[in-house]
Amino acid sequence: MRKIYPADLLARDERFVRLTTEDRFSDPRSPGSRSGGRGATRLTPSRPDAPDAARTLMHGIFVGEVQALEGAGRTCWDFETGDGPEDTPFALKLDMARQCWDEARHTEISCKLMDWMGTELGEFSESIFLYEAACNPDPVLRLTGVNRALEGLAIDVFNTMKEFGDVAGDPVLEFCEDWMLADEVTHVKMGSDWLRRLTETDKERRERALEFQRVVDKLFSLGGFRGEDEDSPIKLARRFRELAGFDADEMDDLAEISRQAKKDAEEHRQRLAPQPSA
Amino acid sequence: MADTKKARAPFAPWDRRELPGSFSVEESARRVGNYKWIEMKLFEALGGWVATVPELDVKMRLGTHCYHHAWHADLWHKRLPELREMNQDRLTVPPNEELVAFVDAMTEPEAPDLTIEKLVGVYRVLIPHKIAAYTYHLNNTSTITDAPTIRSLKFALQDEFEDYRDGEMLIQSLIETDSEVDRATAHQARLEKLMLKAGGIAGPGSIGTSYVSAEEVQEVPA
Repeated sequence: MRKIYPADLLARDERFVRLTTEDRFSDPRSPGSRSGGRGATRLTPSRPDAPDAARTLMHGIFVGEVQALEGAGRTCWDFETGDGPEDTPFALKLDMARQCWDEARHTEISCKLMDWMGTELGEFSESIFLYEAACNPDPVLRLTGVNRALEGLAIDVFNTMKEFGDVAGDPVLEFCEDWMLADEVTHVKMGSDWLRRLTETDKERRERALEFQRVVDKLFSLGGFRGEDEDSPIKLARRFRELAGFDADEMDDLAEISRQAKKDAEEHRQRLAPQPSA
Repeated sequence: MADTKKARAPFAPWDRRELPGSFSVEESARRVGNYKWIEMKLFEALGGWVATVPELDVKMRLGTHCYHHAWHADLWHKRLPELREMNQDRLTVPPNEELVAFVDAMTEPEAPDLTIEKLVGVYRVLIPHKIAAYTYHLNNTSTITDAPTIRSLKFALQDEFEDYRDGEMLIQSLIETDSEVDRATAHQARLEKLMLKAGGIAGPGSIGTSYVSAEEVQEVPA
């Protein structure tokens, strides 16, 4: 088995439908898509399309969990174990193995929840950008991109879904999301702790890792999908992020990235909107 | 409990633990180092394979089992300094090159249509050998002086038995044709021969020896 397994080879059964990242962001049904559509709106039970939007998000969580499982597993395999600058510490690999188990459970939970919410595997598409971030050849960058940026997003998503479950009167959804949220805080904290430890004497590597995180964060903030505005579909979960090692400045930066992304998307939509004839 | 001053034996009548054991501190540490090495190789491979198997149930099981073996590796990692090996890396080694060859062959399959081979290597060859070596160690070490190793062996064995059952049932659920039976048995035979050369996960003597020596034969009265 090779080291660094390409994203386009991810093994799937026939039910999965894969989309490229470009296709996904061009799809007008995607929140904040660049090709117009409804734009980003908050997920509330009063939205006419709330059941479908919740199911879409649930399916997205499911495929995200599968890829998070695969990414954590690859980090166990892709790097030599050791304490040298090129190596991956034994304790980091143990954390990744633990994350494998957590993500496997999340995949199981997501399968059950999809069934509970009335959707099924393959009803919506899968894009593989989470796993792509997990292909970074530097373990520090990989961990920062996946565990801080993407698992950080998972904190925001699970918190939003938990609140949606609460408001919509769905105790099963609320219960499950709360449990998964606990695991995600642990994963993000792992990312924060390892970033600090592995770059203690290498500030340049730390900066590269944080820059990679910003790139991933920006990608996932497209159209203001995740932000602090009242109508943001996914709310920035400051309290849980703080538990996971984010400081206030980092969260402010994230909120700003989202505001900027939302502004860009709105301008883009206006440019695409049909112009009144002269 | 009428008289609290009345003398009691230090070992209860049902406590049959004994001092003698087959392993010195050094021998126990050597084996524990080999165990840590093979547990690491196993959890790394299981993690790596997750992305390569299309079967969703197998994917999730591999992710779960990956952690079990990482946890065993951590148990052995923590046991080594207690056995006077302060540099854990020194003993975290394979017992011989033959076991390295076995692991290389076991981790070779990558393609998505080779799930049977991946599972056979782990669940029909490696894990049965781990169960054998752990059981031998458990039954032969001093039940009093080496109690911490025994406790870890019991935890590990519980996982091994359950993971073995999971893996074997997955294999049975995947095999549907005669040619798949042949694939599974051919791969198992290939790996079993490599394991035979290695002598087990801790090298020759992993499960002791069942044959009496020439000297012992002569000692038997006619």
